[in-house]
Amino acid sequence: MTSYVLRRLLFAALTFFGITVATFVLIHSVPGDPVSFFVGRAGAYTLPKEVIDAIRAQYHLDEPLPVQYLYWLRGAVTLDFGESIIDRRDVTTRIAEKLPNTLQLNTVAFLIAAIVGIPIGLWSAARSGRLAERASAVGFFLLYSLPSFWVALLLMQLFAIRFDILPLFGMASDDYADMSTGARVADRLRHMILPALTLTYGQLAIFARFSKSAVTEVIRQDFITAARAKGAGEMAVMWRHAFRNALIPMITLLGITIPYLISGSVIVEQIFQWDGIGLLYMQAILSRDYPTIMGLTVITAVVTLLASLLADILYAVADPRVRVGERAQ
Amino acid sequence: MLCIACGGRETATPPATATNPVADNDTPVDGGTLLRRLDIDVVTLNPIVSSTRNDRLVTQYLFTPVIHLDRNLQPIPGLADSWEISDDGLTYRFQLNKKATFSDGKPVRASDLVFTLRKIVDPAAEAVQVSGSFEQMDISRTRALDDHTVEIVFKQPLATQLTRFNDVLVLPEHAYAAGNFRKDYNDTALGSGPYKLVKREVGKEIVLERRTDYWGDRPHIQRVIWKVIVDHAVAFNAVKRGEIDETFVTSDSWQRERTDPDLTKFLDFHRFYTLNYNHINWNTRHPILSDKRVRRALAMCLPIDTIVNDLYHGTARAMSGPFTPDEWAYNPTVPVIRYDLDAARQLLAQAGWKDTNGDGVLDKDARPLAFELLIMSGSSTAKTIAQMLQAEGKKAGVQIEITMMDGAAAIPHIMAGKHEAAYLSWDLDPDPDPYAMFHSSQAPPRGQNFGFYANAEADKIMEQARRELDIGKRKELFWRLHELLAEDQPYLWIVQVSDKRAVNKRVRGVIPSRGFGFYLWYPGEFDWWIAPAR
Repeated sequence: MTSYVLRRLLFAALTFFGITVATFVLIHSVPGDPVSFFVGRAGAYTLPKEVIDAIRAQYHLDEPLPVQYLYWLRGAVTLDFGESIIDRRDVTTRIAEKLPNTLQLNTVAFLIAAIVGIPIGLWSAARSGRLAERASAVGFFLLYSLPSFWVALLLMQLFAIRFDILPLFGMASDDYADMSTGARVADRLRHMILPALTLTYGQLAIFARFSKSAVTEVIRQDFITAARAKGAGEMAVMWRHAFRNALIPMITLLGITIPYLISGSVIVEQIFQWDGIGLLYMQAILSRDYPTIMGLTVITAVVTLLASLLADILYAVADPRVRVGERAQ
Repeated sequence: MLCIACGGRETATPPATATNPVADNDTPVDGGTLLRRLDIDVVTLNPIVSSTRNDRLVTQYLFTPVIHLDRNLQPIPGLADSWEISDDGLTYRFQLNKKATFSDGKPVRASDLVFTLRKIVDPAAEAVQVSGSFEQMDISRTRALDDHTVEIVFKQPLATQLTRFNDVLVLPEHAYAAGNFRKDYNDTALGSGPYKLVKREVGKEIVLERRTDYWGDRPHIQRVIWKVIVDHAVAFNAVKRGEIDETFVTSDSWQRERTDPDLTKFLDFHRFYTLNYNHINWNTRHPILSDKRVRRALAMCLPIDTIVNDLYHGTARAMSGPFTPDEWAYNPTVPVIRYDLDAARQLLAQAGWKDTNGDGVLDKDARPLAFELLIMSGSSTAKTIAQMLQAEGKKAGVQIEITMMDGAAAIPHIMAGKHEAAYLSWDLDPDPDPYAMFHSSQAPPRGQNFGFYANAEADKIMEQARRELDIGKRKELFWRLHELLAEDQPYLWIVQVSDKRAVNKRVRGVIPSRGFGFYLWYPGEFDWWIAPAR
């Protein structure tokens, strides 16, 4: 087991290195550079060449690409991701300001989707092929394909304007600073309802359909028939026998979903004015803010790799054959 | 979770003032909180390194420019009481207001202005917006003559130089000299403006409060809160609920909602023209587009009235040349080129274009009349206009291929003059000077004449106009330039789009300027006041 984890770790480290090189090369090969952000804003006056040169030199944009990468790597190994070219604030600070907001919102959305979606998946698997299940499948596909900007504006129109029971936008009320801790949590949750709902409905469909198909695979197998034959109740068959054996694909889903927790949604963040990673990422890309893009890439890469590492380990825990297979090599 | 939602119902109701009538009294009263909107958070509160318009909207409250611009965009005293300009236009002498103080109580001195000017021309400060306006300043001969007099020397005279001092928001040297100028003053501010910074929460809001010790005419409103709301639709909802007092309104919302009696009860809708226009920049070095008859024919293919009436719902006006109708430089005798496909076909035939191979596209010397039109992604109106030109052009035998690029990629491409045609828009300066856009010396890579336009007479006029300090003579020169450029069509001039705003009726004294709207003119927003609830 230890060597299994070690190999996976080594592999993750190499992948990480590869990701940073690839991202670095990619963003630098996209036409345009950060200076054009300023040039585009200098209006009808010409931006003096000295100023452009100063900005380029400051960020080593005048050096060859491999040298630029080494500059970046030198900082990155000490967790210094440099300064944003746009506002000169530390990339780490900029990300740290927004990461908790995205994490909070996405965790809530994720939990709702999992808690509601997985049982629905099990129910669908048990009722597979019947009319109610077919209808629910169609319903989920519809839900999944609704454009989120439209749903967001609709929810806003309904709950914030028509019924006036939820806030229109933002993460906190104006008097948030004067609230007690309990009131703050309640206030944050109130602000979270509409954006979380917008994020949840698509995920919910994924969870429900994914767990349904995973379990359906399993219940066709002989041991389920055996469990039924020995007289186990339908609930017991589903939970104890079918769901457990469907865990492997569910772990895969988990590995895919965890990175999603820190990747913000541009649309939800923009409409609900939820100050998160999504808008930061988009603005960084549009303005070719290389240090910020790289910082965000590193975080996303690390979380993705950790999640897949976690999934690998969980496979081994959930299914002894994975470990045996390693030993047999 | 839903129970929590019900428990907090009270806080979600709009403030009493939002949709209720306000007192009808027209005498300004002091106090109140004004809730304004930023569509993107400011990048920095340091007015010298500021790079976006939003930065300036906020710093305007916190700092004082050397001169203000009045409602007609003419210079009036700001931090400077008075000024003298030498006859050769090279030396400017400003007398600073002796009563002026920064919000920490220290007086504003001549040395503070010199310090600020030094920062503007220091490449390390990266004053991306304002440094271009002071390229000709001779900083070594610029000095404080006494505590309140500054002499500034330029290497070349420039007719528009005085108005550019409106962009010089003076910093206190004692507060901004230390540390990293580019980096350390993004979230703090210490200036001589009528307001001081209470707090800035990045991505959320900026709170300003009126100074009790302000040295000039004190504004009426006690507190100004800028809320960051990126989405226009959400901001419009917020203004309808009284969560903000004013916002930008899209053409579609304007068309649909400005006559809704439920809204006009408590919202005023304002519309005004600002100094900007949309156009297509022709690369005059392109073998096809180098012929001005072709460029004029293309202008005739654009259904300009449809654009004005249907796309902008009548909230834009057609342009005839490089100046907008509110500017003194605008020559009203120059006609707008109207949509006329027959005339376009005739003109193209005169220029030698015929469809010899019958494929529906005109050709000449075995070359089809085809080119690429670049537009920047993100603007749906740009796309619509480009498609209209494409569709109408096709009827006249012109084949236009539309290419989209994002701004960061498109700008360097266009600045290098590599485009064939590009849809762009300009924000103009309060004092007109089209030199950087049309003078032949300003072709890539140097300036903003991206299409390599060159006309010896136009060059001469622009050079003269830059040096001419007499506004009557400048006007004559610009009227002639307007004719020349309209004749040569280096651009396909499209429209000047008006700015549309919704403002809560509790905000009084709201007057737009000629060209800048609510912003950047004096007293402008400093004369606004909040009517108390009845």
